Formats: sequence, structure tokens, C-alpha cells
Amino acid sequence: MNTGQERTSDLARVLNWRQIINLTGLAIANLLISLWMGQQAYSWMPPQASAESILVDKLFSFMTAVGTFIFIGVIGTLLYSMLFQRAAKYDPSDGPPIEGNVKLEIIWTVVPIMLVIWIGFVSYQTYDQMSILGPSVAQEMKREMKEAGTVPLEPTRTVNTGAEETANEPPIEVRSRQWAWEFRYPQENVSSTELHLPVDQRAKFRLVSEDVIHGFYIPAFRVKQDIIPGKAINFSFTPIKEGRYRLRDSLYSGTYFAANQTDVVVESEADYQQWLQTAANTPPSPAENVADSEFSRAEKNAVSLGWATVRPAPAPIVNYSNKQIPDKQIPDKQDPNKQIKKQTPRLEKNPDE
Amino acid sequence: MSNSTLEKRRPDQGPDQQPDQEPKTSPSQQPEPNAPDNWRRFFSFSTDHKVIGIQYIVTGFAFFLFGGLLAMVMRGELITPEADLVDRTVYNGLFTMHGTIMLFMWTFPMLNGLANYLVPLMIGARDMAFPKLNAIAFWMVPVFGVILVASFFVPGGPSQSGWWAYPPVSLQNPTGNLINGQSLWLVAIALSGVSSIMGAVNIVTTIFRMRAPGMGWFKMPAFVWTVLSAQLIQLIGLPALTAGAVMLLFDLTVGTSFFDPTKGGDPVLYQHFFWFYSHPAVYVIVLPIFGIFSEIFPVYARKPLFGYRVVAISSLLITGLSGVVWVHHMFASGTPSWMRMAFMFSTMAISIPTGIKVFAWVATVWGGKLRLTTGMLFALGGLFMFLFSGITGIMLSSVPFDIHVNNTYFVVGHFHYVINGAVVMGFYAAIYHWFPKMTGRMYYEGLGKLHFALTFIGVNLIFLPMHPLGLMGMPRRVASYDPEFAFWNVIASLGGFLLGVSTLPFLLNMLSSWTRGEEAGDNPWRAIGLEWLVSSPPPHENFEEIPIVISPPYGYGSDEPLVSNHPGGTFAEPSKSTPVANLSGESNPS
Amino acid sequence: MSSANLEATLDPTPDPALNSTGAHAAEHEEEDHRMFGFIVFLLSESVIFFSFFVGYIVYKTSATDWLPAGFEGLEIKEPLINTVVLVSSSFVIYFAERFLRKENLWGFRLFWLLTMAMGSFFLYGQAVEWMALPFSFKDGVFGGTFYLLTGFHGLHVLTGVLLQGLMLGRSFIPNNYEEGEFGVEATSLFWHFVDVIWIVLFLLIYVWR
Repeated sequence: MNTGQERTSDLARVLNWRQIINLTGLAIANLLISLWMGQQAYSWMPPQASAESILVDKLFSFMTAVGTFIFIGVIGTLLYSMLFQRAAKYDPSDGPPIEGNVKLEIIWTVVPIMLVIWIGFVSYQTYDQMSILGPSVAQEMKREMKEAGTVPLEPTRTVNTGAEETANEPPIEVRSRQWAWEFRYPQENVSSTELHLPVDQRAKFRLVSEDVIHGFYIPAFRVKQDIIPGKAINFSFTPIKEGRYRLRDSLYSGTYFAANQTDVVVESEADYQQWLQTAANTPPSPAENVADSEFSRAEKNAVSLGWATVRPAPAPIVNYSNKQIPDKQIPDKQDPNKQIKKQTPRLEKNPDE
Repeated sequence: MSNSTLEKRRPDQGPDQQPDQEPKTSPSQQPEPNAPDNWRRFFSFSTDHKVIGIQYIVTGFAFFLFGGLLAMVMRGELITPEADLVDRTVYNGLFTMHGTIMLFMWTFPMLNGLANYLVPLMIGARDMAFPKLNAIAFWMVPVFGVILVASFFVPGGPSQSGWWAYPPVSLQNPTGNLINGQSLWLVAIALSGVSSIMGAVNIVTTIFRMRAPGMGWFKMPAFVWTVLSAQLIQLIGLPALTAGAVMLLFDLTVGTSFFDPTKGGDPVLYQHFFWFYSHPAVYVIVLPIFGIFSEIFPVYARKPLFGYRVVAISSLLITGLSGVVWVHHMFASGTPSWMRMAFMFSTMAISIPTGIKVFAWVATVWGGKLRLTTGMLFALGGLFMFLFSGITGIMLSSVPFDIHVNNTYFVVGHFHYVINGAVVMGFYAAIYHWFPKMTGRMYYEGLGKLHFALTFIGVNLIFLPMHPLGLMGMPRRVASYDPEFAFWNVIASLGGFLLGVSTLPFLLNMLSSWTRGEEAGDNPWRAIGLEWLVSSPPPHENFEEIPIVISPPYGYGSDEPLVSNHPGGTFAEPSKSTPVANLSGESNPS
Repeated sequence: MSSANLEATLDPTPDPALNSTGAHAAEHEEEDHRMFGFIVFLLSESVIFFSFFVGYIVYKTSATDWLPAGFEGLEIKEPLINTVVLVSSSFVIYFAERFLRKENLWGFRLFWLLTMAMGSFFLYGQAVEWMALPFSFKDGVFGGTFYLLTGFHGLHVLTGVLLQGLMLGRSFIPNNYEEGEFGVEATSLFWHFVDVIWIVLFLLIYVWR
């Protein structure tokens, strides 16, 4: 033990000016690279389409910078050692019997603690500012689990509702099911399989599931909330950029989970109102979805290529439905407005088409 | 200088006499590498911890290959955006069983195997505390393994609800049969829990009660510390999973209402039960790997483990903290905001004892005399992978960021960097390091280095692209995806196939070295540890005379002998194979 | 666990008994290890019960429809009698152990048998209560957790009684207790464990309204 300590203080004395300058230089280079990486982090994210996304991206950039600094520091040290501190061939001797260094150990305990507190504090602040999760209320579920399918829910019993619901406009009801999304605008009495939102207005939602747990996830907005059957969850965020974005089911919900996606269209107030109007005047009809069409195709096959599956819920009957093609309507990253088309009202679709 | 001990002979021997050989015991007891009945031990109900250890490891590795095959099919599906390779139900069964098999049939058995083989030797014991219980715990593994594989062949196929088996999806049972993939899955998991608890009782008792005289807590190798910490987690955490699984099984088969929302049940409560164990479970998996790193770096840097005592204590700290972070898997679930914040801070806290270990390893290596043998390369590669995943882990603990990437490929990339980065590389490092001890033969160094190169490139190629995919918003567990994700998926799939191929040099090396590798001798690495004092492979009773330990571990660079009653004190008698070949770190001359 | 072995764990100086490779020394070791191992196992087992307790508490405090329709609440009288019987049996088994340590085999067997009777009485009482209840295992979260908890505990009581039967049988083998009474000690400890679990269970399910 004595030999160990002696040797370390020998080393400490050996750290001369040149080495201190080298280390500082390397640390500064590391810092610059880390800051640069922090900036790069923004480009790895989807376009910033919501107020929340700006907060989240800033947090991520900060964590990327800190992480890069630590990573380069540690890996750099290891690589140096691997390259320049190898034993000479046929040298059977041991290295210096250094067993520890209290000062160093304290530093590398205290500094990470401070870093972690910093990151925790910034995260707490960010979450507080985002404020997306509202209260959730119990929701009675009436149907048996064995049969999948949409059964209209009974009106909810009187329970405590959050302040969100009684403010200006009632929230948009998001109904998730296996495997389609339905959005109901209670005030205008409009239902749709595509979510339309006015830009720069806080959007309020009431998330319900008719069967299993689903995930309400819009990457461009950096928002996500699992939808728990038996609960109605209040949720809100603010879109700030017009465009067409993807909404994906993020919590595994069964066979056609991957296909349970739809679009979110953020548009000006005027366009939004017009869309609502048109939809309200369109008689409701069943909306095609990927799960339904794949399932019916599979049913017609003589040979089953898979295992038994839960039957998809009946297609949502909505005023406005979008064509569920995954690829053609993804917005261009540079100019999301490129893809926006004026929405023409949909006539009733012949289910046999 | 410690090389003087290499030459040490017993005081009563003249300079021309050979040092004593290990006394020969009867052939049935002495596992001679060339004895004809040798291999049959591994298929028998042996109570020898060394046999059981190898049984666990080989069984686990076989399932690793099987789980890997499932992953190859998954990566094949994911090369294209559409679900065009296999049916969606098949893909869902694949990812469910891939995760289940990798966790319950690969990592837990494999780590039990390493612990079984090494712990009694490292603490100077003749066997585990309960040898018969040990054998029973092992032989349960093929049983529940068969149940899991059998679930592929029942109507409805295997479980398709993910390895988490979240209700209500896991309760949907489309065939309506009592015996279905999900119920078989639950039974297999319950059996796995029983086997693991048996193992945990055994290992904890062994470590507490059977250490050699002189081996106080702080003379115990770091690997034993980490194994103890891991098994304590198993003891306390597994029963919670068993409870949740039992309740789920009743819901599924009998129709109770624990987690069924249509009957007043609470599906989120299941998530709490599940993660209360399954989070600490990941520390069960990674802690022994930390122990392996702590054993390997000192040997190949010829330096003591830096801050050994603190590293030892940090293992227990991780065990304690691991029990209070589980809700970080539920940040986007039906959890209230205050709960999310509380668990965010507790999760961030666990990075501190973990970081201490990482810095300690770097400090161990720094300034040493490195030999980049295959074992050392894998340990370094594992450290690299672990560091990266630790950083993404801290990111994930931040709630606002996690809300964006929860259930996306970012998480998949993160945990695979830990499991198929650090853990698998740690496993390989351990095998290459202790292969000579276990088999008495040296492996082929060139093949080993090839294996390392392919593995290292493979894991990075497959799992690094998953991070941008997650950031861009690609969910996990999807059989199909939007075309914007195609580019990184193609790269990941190529990496996956490379990873599959990388196992071939390993298999080749193991098979050919075990049968015709050069004889290794007692201590080819000139390592300091009780296991290196005995022959390779060790005799049936491990030690002729129980060693009396007088020094802390990792005494590199010092002249203190490790034990007081063994000729040589620290190193075994000079071995038949030339140490010089190993000193140069070059390929084994053969 | 004898104090000698506790010493050996804490005191690092070599113990001559541990150096021998004779079977005798190994047996001594294994015996002491068995009790340690059994205690470790019981600690783990208690976590299953804790998990079920937590589930019960969460459901009770958060469920909107707790008790099944038409059910007012559990009767407490008979279960209370059962509780008294079970708790008393812990004392009875303690006395049985004391008799054994004093090598009074017939005293041991009498009190041991009495314990078994009390345990069986408890099981009988539990079965009677179950059959009189108007709700089933599937009746909501209350029905589920009630039968789960009492059933899982009852399973342990049954196991305890069977183990006691086994020990009783073994007590008739001549010279069975020469080397020590691990089986009896372990069964007794298990019985105390089952008792403590029941006390918590009783308070949670029958007393807490």
C-alpha cells in the first residue's frame, strides 16, 4: 500500500508544464468538438413543428455536447494507452503497483455528480415548461376483451375533470383502436381519421383507447403519451409550423401495430375552419385503413402465412378520411409546405374499390 | 520484480529437481483432456460446479445462436420498408421470442455458468454450498427452453406481445385455447424464475460462507463482488416478476380481472410489477460483466485494479439504487408527472457508481504494460460500447427527451449497445481469458483477433444507425416502416448479417482449440488469483489444500505473495508451455 | 447458526477444520450452510407476498368498484379464531423444538403433532370460509386479490403441515438427530414465517376497511 501511494505522488511531481499545456490543449479541442456535436444534434431530429420541440431539441443538444465531451475524453485516454503503452516484446515485468489516488477518485465522483444534477435540473425545467400532461380520469370500459371491435362507449359518469376541459373549447377526442386512429371534434361534431390543427394555438386532447394500450406519438412535435384503456388522459401541445406530419402508434398494440399510423396537418386558422366546415357537410362513411385491407386480403387466401390474429376493429366511420398510403405524403424536410394540397371533400367511397 | 517468483521452487528441492507435479488422482476424478469418458460428464447430472458451469455456458450460447438467427430474419424483414418477408404475426413472434430467448435463455444461464465455474475457485472453495441444488437449477434450463421453443408450434404460434407481455395485448388470445403461446411463455418464465432463485440462494450462501481462510471481504476478487451484488438483486427482484406473471396467467387462463381494464383491472399496475424486477434485471446482467472487466484489465496491463475497494462497494451501491429507478421505463405511460420527475433523478443517480467503475478501469489501464490479447481486446471493446450506452442512458433518463424517443429505435440502440456490446464482448473476453484454465489448452490467437474485429465492426454497424432512426421517430417492434427510414435500416441489416458471420471464427476456434490446441499449463497469463494456482483444468476438488490468503487481489508490481501455503505463493509452478510466447502477445506458435 | 461459524465468517484467521478434506468436516459445513441458505430463500419468498400485498393496497385505494356488487364486507369472527389458532401454533412448535433439543423425543412428537393439528384446523377453517363466500376468484379486483392472497398463503400452510408430517415420520428413525436437527429447525422457521405473513394478511384484508 505504501509503495502505491509513493509512486502516485512521484507521478504527480512528474506532471510538468509541457504536459499541463498539452492536456489543456486537448481539453479545449475536446470542448470545441463537443460544442460542434451539440449543434449537429439539431439536424438529427425531425423538423421543429411544435413549441415543445424547441425545448426538447435544446435539451438534447446540451446532453449531446456533454456526452461527447465525456466520450472523447475517456476513449481518447484509452486509445492513447492502447497505442503507446504496450508492453515491450518479451518484457515480463509488471507495471507500477498503483492502487488508487484519493484526489482523483474524489474528482471523478464529484464532477459527475455535479454534471448529473445540472442535467437533471435542466430536464426538470424543460418538462415543467412543456406541461403537456393533463389529469387523467377513469373511463368505464364496457365490452368484453375477447371480441375486438368498436362498441360505442356510454357517456362517461360524472368524475373530476381537469381545468383543461372547461376552458374555451372542449378537447379533441383521440380514439385509438386496433388499428386505426379517429379524431372527434366535439364542438363542430366532426370526425376524421386525419388530425387537423390550427397553427400557433394550443391544441387540447382527450386520449382514449377502445381496446389495448396504444401510443400517441408525433415525432415532429416531440410529444408522446401512452393511451391506457379505462382512462381518459388529457394532453396538450402547441403546433407552430404548418405542414404535414406523421402520427404513429408507439406502443406495441398487436398484429398490425406498425400500420397504425396517420397524418397530422397543421394549417392556418382559415384553412382549418374551412376543413372543419367541409367535413361537417360530408356524410360519414367507413375509412379504409391498412390493417383492414391486409386482414381481408389474408382472410381470402387459402393458405395462411401467419398465425391467428385478433380481428381489426371495424373501420372508423368518419366525415373525413385520408388515403392510408405510407409513402407519398411525407413532407420534404427542407420545405414542408411543398406537400400541402388544398383538401377536397371526399365523396363516399365504394368499399369494393 | 515479480518474475523472480516464476522461478521459485520449494525450499526442499535442489536446483536440478523438477517442481512437484499435481498429485495424480484416479482417472475418473481427474478430468484429463484426452480421457475417453471426459465429454460424457457434460451431459450428466454432475454436481461439480465446473461441469455445471460449462453446461450453463454452452447451453446459453446455443440459445444465443438461436436467438441470433431470429434476429437475422428480423433484420431481413427490415431491409425493406414493407412487411414483405414474413407475415406480421410471424415478425411479432420473432421479436418477442428474440428478446425472451436472449434474456432468459442466453444471458442469465451464461452468467450463472461463469459464476458457477469461477466463484468457488476464486474464493478457494471446493464447490458451491449446495452442489445438488446447483445441478437441479441447471437442468431446469433445457426444460423451460424446450417449452419456449415448443410455443412456436402450438396453434396461434408463440407469444406475440413482446418480451414485456403487456396486457391487454397479452390477454387477447385470438385462438381462445387454454394452451397458447402466451400461457406457455408465462409458465417458462415462472420456471426460469425458480431456477434463478435456486442459483441465487446457492451463490449468495457460497460467497458468504465458504471463502478461504484469510479472504475477508476486501480480499475478494471484484468478479465475486459483482456476482454477489447481482444475485442479491435476483433474490429480491425476481419474486416481484413472478407475482406479476402469476396474476397475468390467471387473467389469461381463468378470467380474473387483475390487469383487464374491461373488468376493472389496471394494466399499468402490471407494468410496475414487471419493471420492478426487469429493471434491476439488467444490472443482474451487466454487473458480472463489470466484474469480468475488473479481472481482465489488471492482468493484461500488469497493474492493480485502480480503486479496488471503491469499485467493490460501487457494485453494492448499484444493487441498491437499481431497485428505485424502474419507472423510467414508464415515462410515457399512465404515470403522473411527479412520479416521472422523482424517478428521473433516481435514475440519473445510478450513473455515479457506474461512472466510478468506468474511470477506475481507464486508470487501471493507463500507465500499464498492455498486452492486446484477444481477451483484452474484447474487454476494451466492451468498455467502449458500455461508455457509449451509458451516455445515451443518461439522455434517456431525462424525461422530456425520453418522451420523444421512448419506444423508438433509440432505446433499442441504447440497450443493444449494453447487451450486444458490453455484455457479449465481456462474455467473449471471459471465455478467451479463462479458456486455458477450463480446458487446459490455448486458443488460436489469430482467429481470436479476427473474431474481435468482425464483432466490433458488426455491433457498431448494426446498432449505431438505430440512434438516428429513433431520433427521427421510427417506433420499435414494427414489421413495416415509412420509407424515410430505409437508409439506416439497410446499413443496420448489413451490420446484423456481419454480426451473424462473426460467430463463425469463434466457434471454429473453440472447437479446434478444445480438441487440439496447445497445452496451456496452470497460468499462461501469469495472472494473480486463486484459480491460477491450480492445474488447467482444475482437479475435481479444486485445491489439494485450501489456500490461506494473505494479500489483497491484483498484487501486480508488488512482491507480496497471494497465499501463504502454496509453493510459489502467487504464481503456479512454471508451466509446460513457454510463457515467452504469451509475453509477446503474438499468435500461439503451433 | 452457531456462534463458532459466525466467528469464522468475520475472523479471517484459518480454521483447522476447514483445511481437512474429510467427509466429517464437509458435513458440518454443509449443515450450517443449509440454514443460511434457507433463510436467504425465505427472504426471497417473502418478496412474492410483499408484491401481492402491494397489489392489494394499490387496488383497494384506487379502484372505483372495490367490493363486488351486493357484498358488504368480510366476516371477521371466524378468521379471527383461525388467526388465534395459527399464532398459538407458533408457540406450540417452539416448545416442540425445545423438547427436541433436550432430547425428549416423545414430548417433541406430542407438541409437533399438536402443531400439525392446529395448522390443519386453520386450513379447514379457511376452506369453510371460502365456501361460504358469495364472490369468486373472478369477481373484480377484490375477488381476485382476496383469493390470490389467502390461497397462496394457504398453500404455504399446507406445505408447512406436510413438512411437519415428514419430520414427524423421520423422528421415528433411530438416531436420526445425532448430527443435528436442521430439518426440524427449518420447518419450524418456515412455520413462523407463514405465521407472520398471515398476521400482515389478516390486518390488510380483514381489519383494514
